[in-house]
Amino acid sequence: MPSAAGPIVTRMSPNPDRPLLHAVGMTCVMPSSSGGTTLFRGLGLDLVAGSIVDLTGPSGSGKSSLLTALALLNPQASGSLSLDGRESPLVTPQEWRAAVMYLPQEPRLLGDTVAGTIRSPCGYAVRRPRGRRDRRTAALLDLLRRPHRRTSERGPSDSDIRGMLDSLGCTDVELDRPPHDLSGGQRARVALCRALLAHPRVLLADEVDAGLDDDSAELVGHSMTEAAALGMAVLRVRHRASDGLADRTLELRDGVLR
Amino acid sequence: MSTGDYSIDIIGLLVALAMTALSAGVSALMRLGVGRSLLLAACRALLQLLAMGLILKAIIRSGNAWLVLALALVMLVAAVQITLSRAHGIPRGLGIPVLLTLAISMLVMVGVVAELIIRPTPWYAPQLLLPLTGMMLGNCVSAIAVAMTRFYESMDERRDDIGTMLALGATPWECARPSIVSSMALGLLPTVASLSSAGIVTIPGMMAGQVIAGGDPLEAAKYQFVVLTAIAALTLLADALIMTRIYRTCFTELDQFRPKGMRDQTSRRS
Repeated sequence: MPSAAGPIVTRMSPNPDRPLLHAVGMTCVMPSSSGGTTLFRGLGLDLVAGSIVDLTGPSGSGKSSLLTALALLNPQASGSLSLDGRESPLVTPQEWRAAVMYLPQEPRLLGDTVAGTIRSPCGYAVRRPRGRRDRRTAALLDLLRRPHRRTSERGPSDSDIRGMLDSLGCTDVELDRPPHDLSGGQRARVALCRALLAHPRVLLADEVDAGLDDDSAELVGHSMTEAAALGMAVLRVRHRASDGLADRTLELRDGVLR
Repeated sequence: MSTGDYSIDIIGLLVALAMTALSAGVSALMRLGVGRSLLLAACRALLQLLAMGLILKAIIRSGNAWLVLALALVMLVAAVQITLSRAHGIPRGLGIPVLLTLAISMLVMVGVVAELIIRPTPWYAPQLLLPLTGMMLGNCVSAIAVAMTRFYESMDERRDDIGTMLALGATPWECARPSIVSSMALGLLPTVASLSSAGIVTIPGMMAGQVIAGGDPLEAAKYQFVVLTAIAALTLLADALIMTRIYRTCFTELDQFRPKGMRDQTSRRS
């Protein structure tokens, strides 16, 4: 993937013929003492490659639950999902989540440095070239390798990371800074950088620009536009006023998606 | 090698119980709240130890391999029950993994230490196998109970980290690994500490017993070393084994994280 710090790329118009992510029958039931409260039932959603869709709705309506359900992260949810025509049971949950990536509202930054935390997904088995060993053996062998070797050998280069961080307005965030030193807005953008540089096909962004000033929010929107231009489907949960970047806006209210 | 000169009579036992009663009294005075359980545990220990002593005496006298096996199995089952009751905050249904782990450790202990190192005749010598098994199980029970308790605590503490890791495509193993490592380290602390202090701070119980019984201290020391190192190594093995068996109980079949509330509600085939 070319560096994000390049010239502005023209948006490709989305192809409505075949959705990248197809979700049907999405249902979420939260357990409660009375047996269970249904947050939503039977929702359907299509995300087309190269498009940006905004998801709005009142707090507590289940937007985050829907997003985590789409990423197969929600144990209280169920539904049928397919990516590019391939149904989710055909791949491992890890492969699905590498392709359909959920970016939480308050993401954790794991690692000793900003660069380390951005590269951390590349150390996971799902992104390593697959050998002939099965997963468990690979994981056990991985224990024998020294920690710093697991992630530093692969993943985006320092210049890729620097370019992406700069395009998000984090010019003052050094690559070797400890993540716990960052402000809330910087953390959100570092997490976005981590997600984008992991090249998912679908990005489910849960209020990424919530704690940002308007300029930074604009930069975040811009980088999502660039990602969409390269084929990514982006679903954004937003509470801000529309920035005009979304192709479509959906609202989740009272268990119904309009 | 007899303890004829140093045996303990009923007066001795009563003095020991009186000491316990005294400390229970101190606890009551200072309102520590531990006196009652201390007294109860001491009485229970006395009865269990005397019973074990009588049973061992009978088995040794009989020289029957099946009886040795039977007692070892009773000890194993008791160890499983004690482990499960000592570990806090663990989900239901862990009896089988704990049983398997303790059984394997026991078998390796007997196979390696008894048969390979000491090589007694007959091979099932009860005065060797049963005490070894007992020491092994005792150490493993503590280590495993601590490790399991800490593991589930740690996983719940790290649930936000785990959520982020899962979202980025990590497997349950990759998510659980930091908790596994810290829980195992914690479970092994006492074992490592007793190894380091053996001989210089403490004369461990087994060596002490052999010396009191009139045995050669050097022989006793060698025995103690073999047993301590075997127990330490096998406790590490047992810890690792139990971790690999239980870490998946924190995840659903779709590799989603199950926090404490969910774990308590439904058990999961591991």
